[in-house]
Amino acid sequence: MTTRIDPIRRRLLAGLAASLVAPGLLAAETRRTVRVLTSYPDAVVARFESAFEAAHPEYRLQFVWRMPHDAQPYLEAPGQNGVDVYWAASPRVFSALARAGRLQKLGLDTTGLPDRLGNAPLADPDGYYRCTEMAGYGFVVNPDALAGLGLAAPADWSDLADPRYAGRIALPIPARVGFAPPMVEIVLQAWGWQAGWALWSEIAGNAVLLDRNSTFVTDEVASGRLLVGLSIDFFVASAIANGVPVRFAYPRHGGINPAQVAIPAAAPDPAGGRAFAAFVLSDAGQRLLGHPDIRKLPVRPAVYAELPAGYYNPFAAAGLGAFDYDGDSARTRLALSAALFEQTFVADHAAHAALWQRVHAAEAAGKAVAAARRALATVPLDEAAAADPALRGLFQGRLEGSAAEPAGKVEQAWRARAAALRAEADAALKEVAA
Amino acid sequence: MSPRLRRLGLALAACGLFSGAAADTEVSVADAGRDAYSQPFPGLTEAERDHFFRGRSLFRQSWVVSPAKDTEVDGLGPLYNRLACISCHARNGRGFAPDRPGERMQTMLLRLSVPGIGAHGGPLPHPAYGDQFNEEGIPGVPGEGRAETAWTETEVVLPGGETVMLRQPAFTFSELAYGPIEPVLVSARIGQPVFGMGLLDAVSAEELERMAAEAKPDGVGGRVNRVWDAAAGRAMAGRLGYKANMPNLRQQIAGAMLGDLGITSPLFGAQNCTPAQAACRQAPDGGHPELTGAQLDDMEFYLAHLAAPERRRVDDPRVRQGERLFAAIGCTACHRPLVVTGEHPKFPRLAHRAIAPYSDLLLHDMGEGLADRRPDYLANGREWRTAPLWGIGLAELIGERVGYLHDGRARSLLEAVLWHGGEAAPAQARFSTLPAPERSALLAFLASL
Repeated sequence: MTTRIDPIRRRLLAGLAASLVAPGLLAAETRRTVRVLTSYPDAVVARFESAFEAAHPEYRLQFVWRMPHDAQPYLEAPGQNGVDVYWAASPRVFSALARAGRLQKLGLDTTGLPDRLGNAPLADPDGYYRCTEMAGYGFVVNPDALAGLGLAAPADWSDLADPRYAGRIALPIPARVGFAPPMVEIVLQAWGWQAGWALWSEIAGNAVLLDRNSTFVTDEVASGRLLVGLSIDFFVASAIANGVPVRFAYPRHGGINPAQVAIPAAAPDPAGGRAFAAFVLSDAGQRLLGHPDIRKLPVRPAVYAELPAGYYNPFAAAGLGAFDYDGDSARTRLALSAALFEQTFVADHAAHAALWQRVHAAEAAGKAVAAARRALATVPLDEAAAADPALRGLFQGRLEGSAAEPAGKVEQAWRARAAALRAEADAALKEVAA
Repeated sequence: MSPRLRRLGLALAACGLFSGAAADTEVSVADAGRDAYSQPFPGLTEAERDHFFRGRSLFRQSWVVSPAKDTEVDGLGPLYNRLACISCHARNGRGFAPDRPGERMQTMLLRLSVPGIGAHGGPLPHPAYGDQFNEEGIPGVPGEGRAETAWTETEVVLPGGETVMLRQPAFTFSELAYGPIEPVLVSARIGQPVFGMGLLDAVSAEELERMAAEAKPDGVGGRVNRVWDAAAGRAMAGRLGYKANMPNLRQQIAGAMLGDLGITSPLFGAQNCTPAQAACRQAPDGGHPELTGAQLDDMEFYLAHLAAPERRRVDDPRVRQGERLFAAIGCTACHRPLVVTGEHPKFPRLAHRAIAPYSDLLLHDMGEGLADRRPDYLANGREWRTAPLWGIGLAELIGERVGYLHDGRARSLLEAVLWHGGEAAPAQARFSTLPAPERSALLAFLASL
């Protein structure tokens, strides 16, 4: 069949069918490589890489990926492995590196960048690192499933102790899932040590535990298998932006996990590192955080006006007290409290959950079970002991990404004490039932 | 789908009554959102779901330079293209080619070879740069260099006056770390969608040969590539890859882990270093192999059980018109709306399915315009495997930048169709001479896939 397109195609192909390699053509001049150490997933890395290199054609980024627990020794090695800029969400690692003299002053224009959100600092007071984005903690909920049970979406952590949630709450295990340890401390700061652990005990009794590399909280809640999931907001906001039928609720007592950027003291190309850091903090970089596959919270308040309608604005919420949590003061206790949570509620979770179900059943039957509640609400460590620097030091190496370590003697003792407390609760419940 | 319904589907198929609209709901999903390429088969057991999720984590994992504390995911490189599988298959979808001068190949790579035949009949790797250009090297190991893409554009005028710009790439190398690269045969590849691959893996060699032997209109042929199966140690029918140069899903994964990420596996245990790459050969590794057999199992399970999205708007009159035209002008000679899978002892859920990949998985001469002049086993420089079209209508929803054809030159399905030549030239010519509303209807049908 002869068509008008044929001769055109012939000319096209004649013109285009030259060698696929263009010999002798020199590519653009050499670009300077900026080595970025990060633990961000590809959805974040690829978009910042593309946008930065378009804005700065003089640079080419090389990303080296390491979780925070592995990044710290990488940056403590001689020469800091040639890293020009460290960009990750791990306040503990940035703080430790700054204290150890392994960072240089960031030295960027910070106009338009607040230093605090509520009680949460967004910048190192000594100027070694600065927050680049935030993620808030809260609850992913399945509105239809909740409505089916006549439940409202939880407004605060204490709502999750409701017996109607038994077996229907997804709880990422704090000692194993990187983002989860601050959740423990948010409740402890808001409710205090004793009441906070009592609340966690009851929530854990209602919960289904999620380990790392398992199902997503959003998968479980969207499917209706579970009603509520404890989560960090961007996982959920991204899922919602991509059509997953769930909602996210920020609790009255919220908290954020800030990500930071810093220039290593031995950076081979500190100017390149700073160019990247400045881009991340710029309007253009901050706007990227609103991408449906990222959905983090910008630290530049002016950018919120350009984000999609309904985008959560933590600066507005902070004025109402939603971010009284002080991550800095919790920092040295995070790993300890996650380990205590592990031994008290996770290691023997089935037994723990079963006892809470018996407590709730007894209370529904009008029986007094204060003794059982008291035993289950007690953790094997008091607040003063948890402040012991030597004890905290045992856990300081457990950072985001650490593999579960075998329980040491201290943890074994906690687990044994938790078992004894469960035995007390069991005995008290049997007495009530008798 | 019950076994009875499945038999019915096969019976309908045998009678030529299968339209492709009746998706097998046990291996497809009705999701039409941005997660449509990321869903497991419905009905997986809890243990299967755990297996699936472990594989998903590995597919999304950014790999770590050795030595590292995260010993399960270390061993990146020494030479590599990107950090993670998902880097080139964002949201499990297709990649794209660089558009602007100097833009890096984020989701594209260049295959390399020199004239001749390599071990087991495959391409003969470049002596210094191997069979794939790895732009990146771990600290202490120079990356192989930089590759850039330049485009030549030509305007095509369709009947009715519609103009389309077609572009063809040429590649330049710079900062070459291991000496001259030319003369070299180069073939670009953008990341392919990864859902439904288990089902394609389950199409038997006999079925491939049967489809190849069928008489077809317009001088369309189609042949089965014969490629090396590393596990079996012999040549087998090729099913996967742009040139059908992979015999099965497991080898496809292991090959990409080595070629793209520099991760060794039980199938490919040697690092991707040539004799000219001394630092590469002396670099620390992440174990022997770096991807364990169990991890490879997880990834294989994950990809084997990623469901294909079901069609949408199948009752829309314009879509139905486009579907009729798609068959009438000859597209279905290669883009087959029905293929049946065979036995699959490892993953029984894949077996004996009537699927609608809109591909025959066979090699076809696609003409000079698409030729890469780089042989790959039996595939010559003009031959390409028929690209599966299932799910293609969601590509631009799922990826904000997508390309079509092997090197991403086509920025739309219209451009992709216009590039068809060789055996597809008659069908392409008929498409090009359709009145604009009918061309639009055919594209609406493609958008429904």
